[in-house]
Amino acid sequence: MSHSVVLQGEYVNLRPLEASDAGATLAWRQSARARLLNPGASSVEEQAAWIEARPSIEYNFMMVLKSGEAVGMLSLIGVNMMSKHGETARFLIGNEDADRGIPVAVEAMKLLYGFAFDHLGLHRIFGNVTSDNMLMVKWQKYLGMKEEGRMRRHHFINGSFQDAIILGLLEEEYRDVSLPRMEALIKMARPSVESEGDSL
Amino acid sequence: MITKDEVLAIIYAAMESLNEEFDEAGKIALEPETKLFGADAMIDSLSLVSVIIDVESGASDRLSFPVVLTDDRAINEAVSPFTDPDALANYILMLAHENA
Repeated sequence: MSHSVVLQGEYVNLRPLEASDAGATLAWRQSARARLLNPGASSVEEQAAWIEARPSIEYNFMMVLKSGEAVGMLSLIGVNMMSKHGETARFLIGNEDADRGIPVAVEAMKLLYGFAFDHLGLHRIFGNVTSDNMLMVKWQKYLGMKEEGRMRRHHFINGSFQDAIILGLLEEEYRDVSLPRMEALIKMARPSVESEGDSL
Repeated sequence: MITKDEVLAIIYAAMESLNEEFDEAGKIALEPETKLFGADAMIDSLSLVSVIIDVESGASDRLSFPVVLTDDRAINEAVSPFTDPDALANYILMLAHENA
């Protein structure tokens, strides 16, 4: 069951993942960039069926530039309104060039965090990252997540077992650390006053 | 007082650490004019954060005061410190002079 949530940012919007996105998302999942993610469907039909089978406790999004170009995907899954927590997952920038020079990944994550904490009222989100994916671990920690544990040899990826690093973020950490840092990175991408003056 | 070459060495070390994550085709050039952020940037925002973390750490250790590269001051600079390594080095040198 899909949702109808659309989140609008300055550089990127998040819209619901649909079965018609199966071709693009399958290609992204099979690209070299996704080598540290769990393998998924092996055909467009399987991918479309997987998308259509998503349960209502999942919010699966496509990242879409203001031009309309889809550049990646991101999800909030396992939403538990009793315990007020959810899991960030399936974070993948499929179009590598789209994230150069503009904060697509940062803003997409900011929109998702805002949805989780401000709209759904969650008080905690968490996720796990393959231990070999050091850039992602570093990025998530800079944006406020804390390492909460490690599941040893949890993923079998690229022919070997890898640990999964558990990362978590509480609501107050989101407001005190994540939000200011995300806003700073987004602001950095805006044209400077000097260059804006060129158009006057 | 720290020199510009020393600051550039800290920045290049951060970029070299980033390059270890990529294959040959994906590595970025360790040059003063390599575009870090904005138009024609060579790296994505995940990579930029990695560079920020390593440069903040390396510069803070060398200068013995906390170097913060994403505060309001850095963001509001007329020329973004993250334009390229040269601009970043100039910004860190300015902080070093002010804290000398």
